[in-house]
Amino acid sequence: MKVSLLLQKQVSCPTCKTVITCTGSPGEIVKVTCPSCGLLGKVSFEPTFDALTKIVEIQHLTKTFGKFTAVDDLDLTIYKGEIYGLLGPNGSGKTTIIRMLCDLLKPTSGSTKIFGHTLPCTSNKKHIGYMPQDTAIYLDNTVHENLAFFGSIYGMTREQLEAKEQEMLKFVNLQDWRSSLVSTLSGGMKHRLSLACALIHEPSLVFLDEPTVGVDPELRAAFWGYFGSMTQKGITVIITTHYMDEADHCSRVGLLRQGRLIADGRPSDLKKRTGTTSLEGAFLFLAGRKKP
Amino acid sequence: MRLRRTLAFSRRALLQFRHDRRTLAFVLIMPLLMILIFGYTFGGDVKNVSVEIVNQDAGIQEGSSPLLPQGLHLGEMVIKNLDEQALSLHENTNVTNARQTVHDGHAWAAVIFPANFTQEFLSSISSQQGTIPAKIEIYLDASNPTISAEVIKAVTQSIQATLKEITADLNKTQVEIPITIDPSYEYGGSETRFIDYFAPGVISFAIMMVTTMITIILFVNERRNGTLQRLLVSPASESEIVVGYALAFAVIGMCQSIVVLVAAILLFNITIVGDILLALIVILLLAFGHQGLGILLSAGAKNEMQAVQFIPLIIFPSILLAGLFWPIESIPSYLQPLSYIIPLRYGIDAERSIMLRGWGIGEIWVDILVLILFALLTLSASVVLLKKKN
Ligand SMILES: Nc1ncnc2c1ncn2[C@@H]1O[C@H](COP(=O)(O)OP(=O)(O)O)[C@@H](O)[C@H]1O
Ligand SMILES: [Mg+2]
Repeated sequence: MKVSLLLQKQVSCPTCKTVITCTGSPGEIVKVTCPSCGLLGKVSFEPTFDALTKIVEIQHLTKTFGKFTAVDDLDLTIYKGEIYGLLGPNGSGKTTIIRMLCDLLKPTSGSTKIFGHTLPCTSNKKHIGYMPQDTAIYLDNTVHENLAFFGSIYGMTREQLEAKEQEMLKFVNLQDWRSSLVSTLSGGMKHRLSLACALIHEPSLVFLDEPTVGVDPELRAAFWGYFGSMTQKGITVIITTHYMDEADHCSRVGLLRQGRLIADGRPSDLKKRTGTTSLEGAFLFLAGRKKP
Repeated sequence: MRLRRTLAFSRRALLQFRHDRRTLAFVLIMPLLMILIFGYTFGGDVKNVSVEIVNQDAGIQEGSSPLLPQGLHLGEMVIKNLDEQALSLHENTNVTNARQTVHDGHAWAAVIFPANFTQEFLSSISSQQGTIPAKIEIYLDASNPTISAEVIKAVTQSIQATLKEITADLNKTQVEIPITIDPSYEYGGSETRFIDYFAPGVISFAIMMVTTMITIILFVNERRNGTLQRLLVSPASESEIVVGYALAFAVIGMCQSIVVLVAAILLFNITIVGDILLALIVILLLAFGHQGLGILLSAGAKNEMQAVQFIPLIIFPSILLAGLFWPIESIPSYLQPLSYIIPLRYGIDAERSIMLRGWGIGEIWVDILVLILFALLTLSASVVLLKKKN
């Protein structure tokens, strides 16, 4: 199976200093035109990682709750350095998939390999980061205490924690709230802290369940920028969202509908295939066609 | 199990208590209030019980008896000897009226000395067999057993004191006064008060309540907020979570016990004859066992509201069956076997044995063994419960 990955890179134009975001695959050299001064240039994407390392291999994964099938025979392989987006409306089974991949939920049938180990597997755990859909942080502790706690249960030392905490606080824009009790923060701030708690231990595989809900557009763009920079370090990100527009940032998306994967591929390919201009259009097209 | 990770759990939980003043207050003030309320209501002796006194005793006149040539008014003497602190006396002349006062709830008792009281007393001691004993009528509102017991005690003591005086006055010494009461104390003593008996129980009860309730609430929140999911995805093991929290509760339990003990010693001057260290170890075992119980119960509650509904379920058996206020021997015999399955029973028993009797591990090892088993059982069951996925 030939897999194409999409990387993002920000370069600044040598003449007018405009920051340009360009996309390309590992090892690819793409031609870029500066949007403000029209300068033509080339940007090369280093083959920084083995694009074909399989990180997550899902086979025939099914989960039923009583008679209801929440995830229906899912087959999916996710490679190192991808931002894989699970995209679908509420109730389509995104959270259920993530919970099974995190070994929080036993699948009814099917199997999953992560880093080549079949679940359940404890040796993987320290390399995995997980941001649940609920704001899973301690409300009666401060921002700092939460970060320090989640860092230390991953075995981080005090020195490692100190450096990483600064970076995280800056990333989620909570520097001024370090000593505040979480219960006094707004919903969006809690959400940002929750994301920081999932990333503090520098995992190499990250599951993010709806990380951008309730985050303002400016910070949302920053989030996607950060996820992009993570993939350049070889980190694999699996993300769920029901905002179709932001899935364009993903290297690959899987469209889910009623527990079934109805399409899987690069956002641009999906749009091309369905003859639409947005992923939302693609989803509606595919959902309509797949209707019984 | 890694120590660093385990301690991270304890540290976070303790920091949470530091920020959450309300819970901290519950932890420290609840047992303090209990000891204050029960200490002041039951702790001291009963005071100022209002009693109607009707003295119709005619007595015997000077010179009318060879035994007591100077005459005797026994009723008057008994009244004079009544404990003025325990009872607040109201002289009354009318028996019907005195009884009515008790009936109406304005007095706890009416003590009535009949007209021939002294006469009958004398004839009962002069005829060797004791024909008709002299009689004092006590008309009691016994709705409060503590108070009625206090009235009877006061009258009995006064009779004893009076009889002593009379024996000194009696011309003849061959007369033996039929009743002498000479209490002897195996443990404690006449100065052991209810508060001494009660304090070890309150400490055990407070530890049980606080640990169980707070654990339920902590774990209900861990589940509902999703933090537990995070912990389960992390490399931390279930036993590190459970032991981490146990260490936090050990610290809290220690603080709690020390606060209550110091308060009880300062305010009520309670006696502790045994080994404090052993008493604290028993406290820890109680805390560990009930922490496990709390984690298990938390699985049965979806939110804090539902968790609160467990409170009566935990409180009532403990108050009624574990010997907190009343000795286990005083509950109906068919209920007594139930007390064996209430862990608090062993905690209270051990604490009392240590604090009041000065017993050591040799005497209370059964209690300690049961508490250790209880802790092991609930804690390991909670590790299994946390591991369970659906
Ligand atoms: N524990 C559960 N018991 C019963 N039904 C569940 C459970 N968890 C999820 N579901 C159902 O499975 C479906 C998919 O849920 P979910 O994975 O949370 O969707 P999404 O995250 O895409 O919004 C929903 O219809 C939901 O009601
Ligand atoms: Mg969801």
